[in-house]
Amino acid sequence: MRQISAAYIKTVKELLRERAALFWTIAWPIIWVFIGSFSFTSSIPQGVVPYVKGSIAISMMVFALMIAGMSNLPASIAGDRANGLLAKLKSMPVKPYKDFTGRISAVITFSLLAAVLVIVIGTAIGARFTGTGVEIAQAIGFVFLVICASAGVGLIAGTLIKNLQGAIMTGVGIAVITSAISGILFPYEGLPVPLQTFARVYPISSAQASIVHLLAGPNMIAYNPLTSSQIALTIALSFVLLIIGTILYSRLGWKLD
Amino acid sequence: MVAIHVENLVKTYDSRRVLDGVNLGVPEGEFYALMGPNGSGKTTLASIIAGVKKQDSGIVEVYGKKPAQTKEFIGYVPQENFSSPKLSGKENLMYFANLLGYSGSKANQLVAEVLKNVGLSEEADKRVAKYSGGMRKKLEVATAIFPGIKALILDEPTTGLDPAARRSFFGMVQDIRGRKTSIILITHIGSDAELASRVGLIDNGKMIAEGTPDELKRQHAVEDVITVETAAKTDSVLSVLKGYSINGKVVESETGYKIYSRNGDRVMADVVRNLDQAGHKVTRIEMARPTLEDVFFRLTERHLQEAIG
Repeated sequence: MRQISAAYIKTVKELLRERAALFWTIAWPIIWVFIGSFSFTSSIPQGVVPYVKGSIAISMMVFALMIAGMSNLPASIAGDRANGLLAKLKSMPVKPYKDFTGRISAVITFSLLAAVLVIVIGTAIGARFTGTGVEIAQAIGFVFLVICASAGVGLIAGTLIKNLQGAIMTGVGIAVITSAISGILFPYEGLPVPLQTFARVYPISSAQASIVHLLAGPNMIAYNPLTSSQIALTIALSFVLLIIGTILYSRLGWKLD
Repeated sequence: MVAIHVENLVKTYDSRRVLDGVNLGVPEGEFYALMGPNGSGKTTLASIIAGVKKQDSGIVEVYGKKPAQTKEFIGYVPQENFSSPKLSGKENLMYFANLLGYSGSKANQLVAEVLKNVGLSEEADKRVAKYSGGMRKKLEVATAIFPGIKALILDEPTTGLDPAARRSFFGMVQDIRGRKTSIILITHIGSDAELASRVGLIDNGKMIAEGTPDELKRQHAVEDVITVETAAKTDSVLSVLKGYSINGKVVESETGYKIYSRNGDRVMADVVRNLDQAGHKVTRIEMARPTLEDVFFRLTERHLQEAIG
């Protein structure tokens, strides 16, 4: 437990002191909450605007979670490998899974901090949400799936890409591109049919659509992401990504030869 | 008692033998330097002893156990700066103390102790990003000297340090040595290796010589170089000097002469006396001691820096 908490405390402190991580994970999504809320709502009926703002805040919250998992996590891994820390840890009585658990717990904490701040700012500038207690609990479950899938991608990137900048840029690239083509940053209904299919399969966009459906209303999403088959696919693929990432990190992440 | 025992160690990367039958023995409490150019295999050897990498064949034992079983008492300091620049010195050490199983007041107490031991108590709360290179390296050594550490492996610790930081660093190493900790220093700098009680020279994955610094210089016939300048350069001066240089070899330079001897201290006095008796005034005389780089050159016909390139 001490090794897990050691890795957790170190990673949390580093993330909170890393300006790039703070900007891209917290400030950047908040900036887009502002831009989206004031630029894209002028031609919308006034009664719907609070829920459109809510939908924008949710999308930006998901984007923040993606950046945290896909970029901050691999940056932490690749950086520690590049600066020799993994070699040092390998010489110590430290288990890779404990280091992994501490790191990923820290990224989850940082992700949730970013998510709360984005939602609070969104609410402060007029976003409104619907949903019963059960729906809010379900939405939190989908947030958890976004974190799992993003962390899975981040673990894969951090394990396979040895170079720090390469790991960061790959993570940011995957986050930006996939969110652009899967309906997270742009409306689902405006996507070509192949990308609409991708948006339904990609667990992060599917989870985002589910959260919007639950908390901003079904009218904000052009398809129903809450069918049992869709939910099962989202859960399965989120865990598949996390499991692949975990296995790769455990087997190759600490391999220095 | 033998602290570190390495026998016939072989390690191959992409069909290239990085270590080719290396043997090494370090008694408890010894300060041993492993010196060689980059690519000679010394870092690979250190990382195998530290349990970071695995050998293809051969035996490695630390206090009679395989490296995987000795992680509690090996302190390994890799060449790269692994401390987190975003954390303070104290926070970095708390991280390692927690990894080693210490927590709460015990961890705080130990961290305060090791910070004091490496002379960083006053800088403890400063972020490592603001540390000098020497301070950062001391902090990283501090991560490897928690209680229970019996063998310390330092990989190129003085690379990039200025002379003052280097002196201060080795002062700290001498303090650690005083606690019976066995130390292996990996280096390509002869003056660093000179500080060790024994030195192993490694090249192309093979140990090419081993002994105390003085033994290595004696065994491998490396001479002192004496530079002599006189008021006038004459055949008579040359004749006197030839009598004191190995094989009568005297090299003339613009300002004087160079002669070679294995007993420079005595020869210097004799040269001054005999030149004086022959009526030649010595205006300058100085001696350069052979270095371990000279020994390496004698054994390999390459300078360490050439070999590095």
